[in-house]
Amino acid sequence: MSTFAELLLNGLSLGSVYALVALGFVVIFRATEVVNFAHASLLLAGGYVTATLHDDIGFWPALLAGVAGAALVGAAVEFLVMRRYRGSDQSVLAIVTIGVDILLTTELTRRIGTDVLALGDPWGDAVLTVGPVSIAHTRIAAFVTASLLITVFLLAFRFTSWGVAMRAAAESPETAALMGVRLGRVSLGAWAVAGGLAAVAALFLTVFPTPGLERATSLAALKAFPAAILGGLDSTTGALVGGLLVGVTESLATGYQSDLTFLGRGLGDLAPYVVMVAILLIRPAGLFGTKELARV
Amino acid sequence: MSEVLTRDETGGAVRPVRRRRLRSPAPRAAAGGVCAVVLLALPFYVDRFWLEAGLFAMAAAIGAIGLNLLTGATGQLSMGHAFFLAVGAYGYCVFAADGSDGPVGLGLPAWLAAVLAVAVSGIAGGLFSPIAGRLRGAYLGIATLALIFIGQHVLFNARDLTGGFNGRDVPPLSLFGLTFDDRELVVADVPFGSAEKLWYVGLLLLLGGALFARGVLRGRPGRAMNAIRDHRIAAGVIGVPVARYRAGVFVLSSMYAGLAGVLLALVFQRTVPDYFGITLSLDYLAMIVIGGLGSVAGAVAGAAFVSLLPQLLTRYSDALPLVSEPGMGGIAPGEAARYLYGAAVVAVVLFLPGGLVRLAARLRVKPRPGARVTPRPGAVEGEER
Amino acid sequence: MRTTHTARLAAGALAALLVLAGCSSKAKDGGGDKGSAGGVKTGEGISGKTISLGVLTDMSGVYATLGKSVTQAQQLYVKQTNAAGGVCGYKLALTVRDHGYDPQKAVSGYTELAPKVLGFTQFIGSPFVAAVKQRIDGRDKALVLPQAWSATLLGSPYIRPIGSTYDIETINAIDFLMKEKGLKKGDSIGHVYFEGDYGENALTGSRYMAKQAGLKVVEQKIKPTDNDMTGQVVALKKAGVKAVVISAGPRQAASLVGVAAALKFGVPVIGNNSAFAPQLLATAAAPALEANYYVASPSLPIGADTPKAKKLVADYKAAYPKDSLDNGVVAGWTAASAFGEALKKACAAKDLTREGVDKALLTVDAFDPGFGTTQDFSDPKAASSKESVILRPDKNAVGGMKVVREAEASSVAQGYTPGA
Repeated sequence: MSTFAELLLNGLSLGSVYALVALGFVVIFRATEVVNFAHASLLLAGGYVTATLHDDIGFWPALLAGVAGAALVGAAVEFLVMRRYRGSDQSVLAIVTIGVDILLTTELTRRIGTDVLALGDPWGDAVLTVGPVSIAHTRIAAFVTASLLITVFLLAFRFTSWGVAMRAAAESPETAALMGVRLGRVSLGAWAVAGGLAAVAALFLTVFPTPGLERATSLAALKAFPAAILGGLDSTTGALVGGLLVGVTESLATGYQSDLTFLGRGLGDLAPYVVMVAILLIRPAGLFGTKELARV
Repeated sequence: MSEVLTRDETGGAVRPVRRRRLRSPAPRAAAGGVCAVVLLALPFYVDRFWLEAGLFAMAAAIGAIGLNLLTGATGQLSMGHAFFLAVGAYGYCVFAADGSDGPVGLGLPAWLAAVLAVAVSGIAGGLFSPIAGRLRGAYLGIATLALIFIGQHVLFNARDLTGGFNGRDVPPLSLFGLTFDDRELVVADVPFGSAEKLWYVGLLLLLGGALFARGVLRGRPGRAMNAIRDHRIAAGVIGVPVARYRAGVFVLSSMYAGLAGVLLALVFQRTVPDYFGITLSLDYLAMIVIGGLGSVAGAVAGAAFVSLLPQLLTRYSDALPLVSEPGMGGIAPGEAARYLYGAAVVAVVLFLPGGLVRLAARLRVKPRPGARVTPRPGAVEGEER
Repeated sequence: MRTTHTARLAAGALAALLVLAGCSSKAKDGGGDKGSAGGVKTGEGISGKTISLGVLTDMSGVYATLGKSVTQAQQLYVKQTNAAGGVCGYKLALTVRDHGYDPQKAVSGYTELAPKVLGFTQFIGSPFVAAVKQRIDGRDKALVLPQAWSATLLGSPYIRPIGSTYDIETINAIDFLMKEKGLKKGDSIGHVYFEGDYGENALTGSRYMAKQAGLKVVEQKIKPTDNDMTGQVVALKKAGVKAVVISAGPRQAASLVGVAAALKFGVPVIGNNSAFAPQLLATAAAPALEANYYVASPSLPIGADTPKAKKLVADYKAAYPKDSLDNGVVAGWTAASAFGEALKKACAAKDLTREGVDKALLTVDAFDPGFGTTQDFSDPKAASSKESVILRPDKNAVGGMKVVREAEASSVAQGYTPGA
C-alpha cells in the first residue's frame, strides 16, 4: 500500500510538471492554433540560463532570469518567425516550429556539450517521511509551484483583459480583431507565457532525483504532447488533468512493471500514449476539448 | 513536372493558355532525356558512397511522396510515417528470410516478400484509419505520434520478429535469377555490387511511384483530396465521400511508406529499430515542406535535399569554412548540418511558400520576357479557403 | 508524335550510356595488391608512406561524451606515434566521421571510409557495427575495434571488442558484492538495465551469476530517456533486494543512487563502466555517489597510479586543457595502441595488408596497454580479457575514480563462455 501511495504521489508531482509544459502548448494553441513543436527547446533554454547564472547571482535571481530568458526566446520566435508567415495553413506553421526547434536545440546542446549542469536549487536531496511514505522536497515544491502557477493562470485567463483578449482571439480571430484586440500582441504574449512556464518546468525536471540539466532534458517535453492532447488542446483545465494523468500513468507503469511483464518491459514511456489513444477513441477532441462546430 | 500547375488547373479557364506557354515539348523532353541518361549512367562512374546516398534519397523520396499525398494534398498531419516505414522494412525481412539466422522468417521469394510487405503496411494504415478518421489536425498529428512509440516498443521487444535492439539481417532481393547482393557482377568492365544493382531498382520504383501519385493527384481523386484539405465539410456537401477518401489516402500513404521501408532495408542490409524513431518522422515532414506541399516533384526535391545535405557536409567538412574537423572544437559537421537543415525549414516556409518546386517554376518562367505569368498559386490557394 | 520522340530519346540515351560506360574510371584495371615498398606488402588504406585509419564516432548524438574522449585520445596517440617516427616508417592518419548516432550516417560513413582506410580504430554504436557486419566479414575484411563491450559482437575475426564484455563485467561486479559487501546465497539483487544490447548483455551476466551463486534477480528495464529512477527504487525496495546492479548511463546511476539514499534504502549499488561520468561529481548527487556507489571497469581508471596513466593524463591535459578526463580516454587510448601493436607486428611480418593486420592481431596474446589488465586477442570468440577492476567515485581523484579492488577475474567469470 505504501508503495502505491509513493508511486501515486510521485506521479502526481511529476504530472504537475508535465501540466506546466502542457499548459504552454495549450496557451499557444488557443491564441494561434499552432501546435508548438519548439516547446522542448524553450524548456532547454530556460534551464540553461538558470544553470549558467546560479553560481554568480544566486538561485532565485537565476531562476527569474531563466523564466525571463525563456519568455524572451518564446517571444522572439513569435516575432521573428511565426509572424512572418503569410499563408494560412496551421499545419505548415507546426512544421516551422520543428525547424525552429532544430535550430535552438542544436545551439543549446552545443553549448551544454557533455556537461551535466546543476541548477543550484535550495531543496537538495531532502526527503519528507510521513509514516511509511517518503517523498522528496523537490517533488513537493514542484507540486505546490505548479498548482499555484496554474491557478494564477486560470484566474488571469478569466478575469484580466489579457485573458479575455486571448479567449476572444481563440473564439474567432476576425471578430476579435474587429473588436480591437491586437492579435499580434496576444500571440506574442502567449509565446512568452509558454516560454516562462517551460522554464519553471525545466527547473523541476532537472533537480533531484534527476542529476541535472543536460542535452537530453528536452526530451521530457515529448511527454507533454499526450498530456495536452488527452486533456483537449484548447482547454487549460484539460492540460492540468492531462498532465496529472500522464504523470501518474507513467509512475505506476514503471513501479509495477514486474507485474506487467507480459507486455514487455520498459512500459513507462509507452503508457501515456496508450492512454491518450484510448481517450481519443472515445472523445476525439480530448477530455475537455471543445467539440468542433462546423460552419460552411 | 510541376504539380503546382495542376493545382491551379482546378481553376479551369487558365489551363490551355498556360500549357502552351510553359510546355513546349522539345526542350522539356530533351532535359528529361539528359537527366535520364545521367541517372542511368551514374553507377558506372561514381563511388558506392554516392550511390548509397542516392539510394537513401530515392527511398526517402518514395516515402515523402506518400506523406505528401496524405499531409500535403489531403491536409492530414501525420507524425507516424516512420512507423509504416518500419512495417515495410521488417515485413520484408519476415517474409523473405528463411529463419535460419534466428528471428522468424517465412522463406518466401524476395519479390513476393516485397509486395506483401507493402501490402502489410497498407493494412496497418487501414487498421489505424478508424482512429485517424475521427481526429483532425493537431489531434491526428499527435495521435500518430503514438504509433512511433508503440512501434518502437514492439521493435525492441518482439525479438522473434524483429531481432531486438541490434535488428536483423535483410535478405537480398532477387529477381529473375539476379540477386542484388554484394557478389560482384561485371558490366562493361565495371564491377557491380549491391549498391550499383539496387540503383536501378530504386530508379524504377521511384519512377513508378511518382507517376502513380501524379496520376492520383491530377485525376478526380486528387481534386477530391484537395477539396477535403481546403474545406472538409464543403467537400462532403458537394458529394465527396470524405471518410472513404481519408481512409483511402491513409492506406495509400502507408503503402508508399512501406515501399520506402523495403528499399531502405535493402540498402542498409540490416534493419535497426533506432532508425525508425520520431526524428525520422519529423525529417519526412520537413522534406515535404522544403520541397513543396502537395506535389510529387516537391516531395522528391525535398527528400533529396534533406537526405543529401548531411552527407555532403560530413564528407566535405574539411573544406568548409567555420566547420571544424570532429574533435577540434568549434562547430562539428553534424551540428552544421542541423543548423542548415533547421534554417532551411524556416526559410522555405517564410520566404518560399510552395517550396523548392515553386522556386524551380519561377526560374523556368523568368527567362521568357513577355510570357504572361499567371497569379501566384499561393494566392489562389488562399482564396480557395 | 510524342511517343516516337520519347522512344528515340530513350534509344539515344541507351546508346550513349553504353559508349560512356566503356571509359569509366571505376572499370577494373586488373591491379590487385599495390605491391610492396621496401619488401613490405601493402594494400588498401596505405598510400605512399601513410597509413589511413578510420574513426566512426558520435560527437553530436547521445554518446557524444564517450565519442569525444575516445576520439581525442586516439588523435593524441596518432600524434605521438608520428612524432616518434610512426610505425616502421609509416605515418598514421585518422579520418574522423561523426555520425551523431544516426544509422543512416553511420552506414554512409562506413561506406565512404571502407575503401580508403586500412582499418577502424573506433566504431561507436553496436547496432551500426551489426548493420555493416555482413560487409566487414564478407568483403572488406578490415580490422574494426568497436567502442562497445557487448558479447554479441564477439565471434568475427575482424570485429574485435577490447577488454571484458558487459556480461563478464557484471559477473565480476556481483562477485565483488558477494565477497566484500555481504551479499549471500538466497538474497535478491535488483538489476536496472537499459533496453538494448548493453543492458541485455549485462543481464545475461547477472542471470548467469545468480544461477551459479543461488541469488534471485529482480529486473527493471529502462530507456535512455528515463532520468528519474524513483519508480525503480520504490519497486526494488518493495522487492527487498540486498544490492543493486545498474547497467545504464551516468544520469540514471546518479538518480538511482540519490533516490536510494534519500529513501534510506542503503544497499550497495554497482554499475558497469558506462554508468559513470566524472561530470556527476559536480552535481548534487555527488555525496550519495561517493558513499554508496561502485563501478566495474575493464581497466584501471585514468587517474591510476601507473607511469603510463600519469603520462597520458599529463599529455591529454596539455593537448585538450578544457576537456574532462574520463574512462573514454583510457578506452580510446587502449584501442588505438592495440591497433598500433597489431600494425607493428604486421610490419615485422612484412605484410601490411588488411589480411596481414588481422592475422597480426591474432598473435597479440599478452598486450599490456598500461592500465592494469592484459589483453589476449588470440581467440575471436572470447573477450580479450576476463578481468574487471572495481572502482568508486572520489572527488579528489583525477578522473573522479579510485581503485577499490585491483584487476581480477572471478572464478565464475573464468568458467563463463559468452553466448553459452
